Amino acid sequence: MAEFKPKIVVFACNWCTYAALDLAGTSRMKYPANFRVIKVMCSGRVDPQFVLEAFKQGADGVIVAGCHPGDCHYVNGNMKTLRRMTMLKKMLEEMGIEKERFRLEWISAAEATKWVQVANEMVEQVKALGPLKPRLEVKE
Amino acid sequence: MKPVVVVGGGIAGIQAALDLADQGVKVYLVEKSPSIGGRMAQLDKTFPTLDCSSCILTPKMVAVDRHENIELLTYAEVKEVVGEPGNFKVKILKKPRYVDVDKCTGCGQCVMKCPVKVPNEFNLGMDMRKAIYIPFPQAVPLKATIDPEHCLYFTKGVCRVCERFCPPKAINFNQKPEEIELNVAAIIVATGFSLDDARKRGEYGYGKYPNVYTNLEFERLLSSTGPTKGEIVRRSDGRHPKKIAFIQCVCSRDELTNKYCSAICCMASTKEAILAKEHLPDVECTIFFMDVRAFGKGYQEFFERAKQEFGVRFVRARPAKIEEDPKTRNLIVYYEDTETSRFTKEEFDMVVLAVALRPILPESLVKSGLIQPDNYGFADVPEMYIEPVRASKPGIFVIGVLQSPKDIPDSVIQAGAAAMRAAIYAISG
Amino acid sequence: MSEEIRIGVYVCHCGLNIAGVVNVKEVVEYAKTLPNVVVAKDYVFMCSAPGQAMIKEDIKEHKLNRVVVAACSPAMHEPTFRGVLGDAGLNPYLFEMANIREHCSWVHPDDKEAATEKAKELVRMAVAKARLLEPLEKIKSAVRPAVLVIGGGVAGLRATLDLVERGFDVYLVEKRSVLGGNAVKLGELAYTTLTGKDVVNSLVEKIKANPKAHIFLNSEVEKVDGSIGDFRVTVTRRLGEGKEEKIELNVGAIIVAIGYDPYEPAIGEYGYKTTDKVVTLFQLMDILSEEGPTKGELLIGGIRPKSLAFILCVGSLSTTPNAKPYCSRMCCSASLKTILKIKEKYPDIDVYVFYKDMRTYGKEEDLYWKAIENEVKFIRFDEAPSVKPRDKFVEVEAFDTTIQERIAIPVDAVVLANGMVPATDTEKIRIMLKIGCGADGFLKEAHLKLRPVEALTDGIFLAGVATGPKNIIESIASGSAAAAKAATIVTKEEIEVEPLIARVNEDMCSGCGICAALCPYEAITIEVKEDGKRISKVNSMLCKGCGTCAAACPSGAMQQSGFKDNQVMAQVVATFRGE
Ligand SMILES: Cc1cc2nc3c(=O)[nH]c(=O)nc-3n(C[C@H](O)[C@H](O)[C@H](O)COP(=O)(O)OP(=O)(O)OC[C@H]3O[C@@H](n4cnc5c(N)ncnc54)[C@H](O)[C@@H]3O)c2cc1C
Ligand SMILES: Cc1cc2nc3c(=O)[nH]c(=O)nc-3n(C[C@H](O)[C@H](O)[C@H](O)COP(=O)(O)OP(=O)(O)OC[C@H]3O[C@@H](n4cnc5c(N)ncnc54)[C@H](O)[C@@H]3O)c2cc1C
Ligand code: SF4
Ligand code: SF4
Ligand code: SF4
Ligand code: SF4
Ligand code: SF4
Ligand code: FES
Repeated sequence: MAEFKPKIVVFACNWCTYAALDLAGTSRMKYPANFRVIKVMCSGRVDPQFVLEAFKQGADGVIVAGCHPGDCHYVNGNMKTLRRMTMLKKMLEEMGIEKERFRLEWISAAEATKWVQVANEMVEQVKALGPLKPRLEVKE
Repeated sequence: MKPVVVVGGGIAGIQAALDLADQGVKVYLVEKSPSIGGRMAQLDKTFPTLDCSSCILTPKMVAVDRHENIELLTYAEVKEVVGEPGNFKVKILKKPRYVDVDKCTGCGQCVMKCPVKVPNEFNLGMDMRKAIYIPFPQAVPLKATIDPEHCLYFTKGVCRVCERFCPPKAINFNQKPEEIELNVAAIIVATGFSLDDARKRGEYGYGKYPNVYTNLEFERLLSSTGPTKGEIVRRSDGRHPKKIAFIQCVCSRDELTNKYCSAICCMASTKEAILAKEHLPDVECTIFFMDVRAFGKGYQEFFERAKQEFGVRFVRARPAKIEEDPKTRNLIVYYEDTETSRFTKEEFDMVVLAVALRPILPESLVKSGLIQPDNYGFADVPEMYIEPVRASKPGIFVIGVLQSPKDIPDSVIQAGAAAMRAAIYAISG
Repeated sequence: MSEEIRIGVYVCHCGLNIAGVVNVKEVVEYAKTLPNVVVAKDYVFMCSAPGQAMIKEDIKEHKLNRVVVAACSPAMHEPTFRGVLGDAGLNPYLFEMANIREHCSWVHPDDKEAATEKAKELVRMAVAKARLLEPLEKIKSAVRPAVLVIGGGVAGLRATLDLVERGFDVYLVEKRSVLGGNAVKLGELAYTTLTGKDVVNSLVEKIKANPKAHIFLNSEVEKVDGSIGDFRVTVTRRLGEGKEEKIELNVGAIIVAIGYDPYEPAIGEYGYKTTDKVVTLFQLMDILSEEGPTKGELLIGGIRPKSLAFILCVGSLSTTPNAKPYCSRMCCSASLKTILKIKEKYPDIDVYVFYKDMRTYGKEEDLYWKAIENEVKFIRFDEAPSVKPRDKFVEVEAFDTTIQERIAIPVDAVVLANGMVPATDTEKIRIMLKIGCGADGFLKEAHLKLRPVEALTDGIFLAGVATGPKNIIESIASGSAAAAKAATIVTKEEIEVEPLIARVNEDMCSGCGICAALCPYEAITIEVKEDGKRISKVNSMLCKGCGTCAAACPSGAMQQSGFKDNQVMAQVVATFRGE
């Protein structure tokens, strides 16, 4: 059987996390090729529906990431994300999606290293869990 | 409306150029080195908010490059200025890059192939660059430059490897210096600073003991684009330090070198100690200081955080000397703790010196009497209370560290002030 | 009726930066198989002049109406390529980038196969989004070529003078009956014989001579509506005998320069107000000024002191329970300056300085050297000194950390170097203008380092001590800097803002107000229509395009242009499959 290559969707805010990923590139850091980044202006734009849809489509994991508390380019969009994603986490667990498959992270534009660390951890965790069975469709 | 010249492309010059250009004034920004950015481009993170220096600077640099009202003259210097407020004639010399900037895409192929290694100024000589180089990854303009002093073709007449590998055929060994003459309404000078020579305080052993660093070198050690890719390691053996001493007021507040206070180094060391702790959680950081000049907005709070949250130790003392243990290359700091009046010594495995800022006055403007040095060698502002950024001659403005030691926020504020005053000359010129 | 979608995909080699890792040809061939893609090409440097020319020609030749470039980060070249579309007559917002350099080739150099696979998928995601993009126009609004300045201290005065000299009408609104603010009370300044009043007068004279300056004394701003480029302002002027007048102004930008209040020690704090031998530095400066109560003679509590103790950090650095945690920045220098002026006039006077940290930063250090030369005695404390009024003298007691001993010094009078606290009206102004305050209570700048004179709300600028302690020189510089920012707006006839903002579909909106409660810029209001239907409305000049409202809208009525639900969802789906 072919090696399991998890696919992980990342929702990254334009001002911090997306820039951190750019910095990881300009600094020629290395991390696994399992991530697909979708840019939003602020993590506050991330509708929980987006995350659910990603799992439904076959994502093995999802990361929502933005600026550190207090650093959001739009004052406090990330705090609203925090609230929403905390609720979403519970919901995901109820749906039978292991909590290791979903992460909310604060990664500043300078923290390319933190991104690489999060990326490595996430791939490890998800690999350990194995592919996500398309359980969601049953629930709907 | 007449244009304005801004001399020096550090944060002060960049901001002045943007504030003028956004008012519809045409600006020529003249920078001596191949890229704008100045010292701020070399810093890792910045106090007191710890945001990454290049993350906040790069967008401004790109904005300068894209602005329709700004003409960027990098690798260029002002040769001569004559005239009166509202009507200065400025002669500018553009040095040849030996690279056609219209063709160069900044791909870096040439850099990879060039066989000659030269100490890298951007990393303060702590690693090597090539004879053809792009000073740092975020350089603006992102173009290669050949350093003719080291290039084999210019020194020995051989090589031309870069020419062979350059995809868009941008290399041009026949480029000549170019002279440009401008007629402008006002001149803003923002030529910044360099550190004083820390060897002047020989008792600290800089240049002699490998594990003694200047604070600017330490910034480069912290930075992921630095010589160690952000690893704090000792020059002598590449090991992580366990105990770092920061020594304040080196060549500042000092009768023998500079009597003034350099204004930024207390906060810079506080920041560097915090960052060292972030990089190496077990490292112990001690700051030897006389007074903590935490005067700016958010600075006192930052200082308190360093003590409480990060456990940085502050010792009120001016160390007398440093000795090196020749075996371990560790450093023994001798000092009198003024809060206990005890003479004592303590061993560290790395020392960072907070060295004084020295202004860089552009010769051509000093010679023509447009800028005058004050007692300390900074650009004088005779009407400081009413026109805080006006130089000895009206129509000439001096801002940033060139004018007095200062942090980024104050440099940016002065840039705005100079842009405002210069714009008034531009519209009536 | 929708037109046929025709997408062009351009994959850049970036020299070897991309092509050295990603199989660019394979990506191009893959792109050609995606729905709606009519042309796909690669080129060594897409951002170079020939690369741009190629895209422009294709737009015309292949009648492209969407363009996708797979290259570096959009942070680098999105504006460049948007410009290319514009030049070719296509709406610049019909463009999408796939980041296959920073997010792909540079970080996966060791796995060329995975990098190529990822690049293909990134292109597929970009194409999926591009298909749903809509043309957008920058939002334009006319600009009123006039500026409102609130506060007539040195900072507000400098800003006013600069802007009138630059040719704009300025309305200067000052609460008090005189201009100049706190500086007029400061007497002779350091390094000069100029007084604070001289500085103020030289500014005021020039302002009064300029017909563009409109000064409103005894006046306050009561209400501000509108936004950048077009603020509508109501000013109330007190006319005496309880009468008031209302003035309506229309300006393009606002500068807030409301300054500070000198810290007022509590009764008994360092003996303040329990004896007339304890004064604040601010009061002492007035005593020393020619126009002061004693015509410049040093008299405290009726006598000419032979010895003086200065206590620093009064009201600052948390030295007492009432004190603020921050440093007031100028009181060390202002104290030493005052001491040196006193020493010049009365050389025999003994001066003691009780300090916590001597913060004569930069060139001000000069004052410290001079004070030492003049035999001023310095005593360093960690714990605030205590002040005990005796019959004929006052005793100041402290633990001197340098000699590690408790000492008590009898002096004729004590000067409290009082710091600065936010002006009384700061809170009121903050709420009225919807701008922020920091934990220290001063107004907050958009970015502490790089945007120090801009408020978080566009079109509003901050000058002087309103944002935090400064001396006169720094306050004046920030006045000019704020004026420069205001000038960048009022020199334009029209301003443009990015159109990637929120928009409401009125038919779908239920008027629940969730969006309005979430918006950090108060850009959303709930309006009641004639038929009683409540709908949400976005002020396009206030919205910054964060998308928080769109994420929360339960009925899908609120959408963010460029990041609409269907556009993001299309990307999510395309992450996993082609259509
Ligand atoms: C170790 C260290 C850490 C610091 N950390 C911080 C911090 O965390 N936060 C903070 O606020 N501040 C910090 N600072 C201070 C900050 O670096 C300065 O405030 C800022 O760089 C000043 O900018 P400038 O434009 O005046 O000068 P510079 O940055 O020196 O720029 C001057 C520019 O002019 C060019 N130039 C020189 N001569 C000529 C000439 N003749 N013709 C044309 N161009 C010329 C130079 O090449 C340079 O590009 C730090 C400083 C040091 C030394
Ligand atoms: C004890 C002490 C000693 C000092 N000594 C020195 C010194 O020696 N040298 C030096 O350079 N600096 C000194 N300073 C600092 C100096 O006073 C300030 O830098 C300067 O006055 C700040 O000017 P400003 O315009 O920002 O504020 P302010 O002078 O406070 O002016 C603000 C103006 O706004 C007005 N205002 C407030 N609210 C409103 C409202 N709602 N509507 C309309 N108008 C309003 C006020 O009436 C006032 O006129 C000293 C300060 C103190 C406390
Ligand atoms: S000179 Fe040529 S090879 Fe060098 S960076 Fe420029 S385009 Fe690339
Ligand atoms: S010609 Fe000069 S710059 Fe070019 S590769 Fe050779 S040594 Fe380097
Ligand atoms: S800022 Fe601090 S370290 Fe720097 S010269 Fe002044 S007192 Fe010394
Ligand atoms: S400037 Fe000096 S007196 Fe004033 S608060 Fe700061 S340390 Fe204290
Ligand atoms: S997009 Fe953000 S700023 Fe705009 S209206 Fe919605 S919440 Fe407010
Ligand atoms: S902008 Fe990054 S989280 Fe809001």
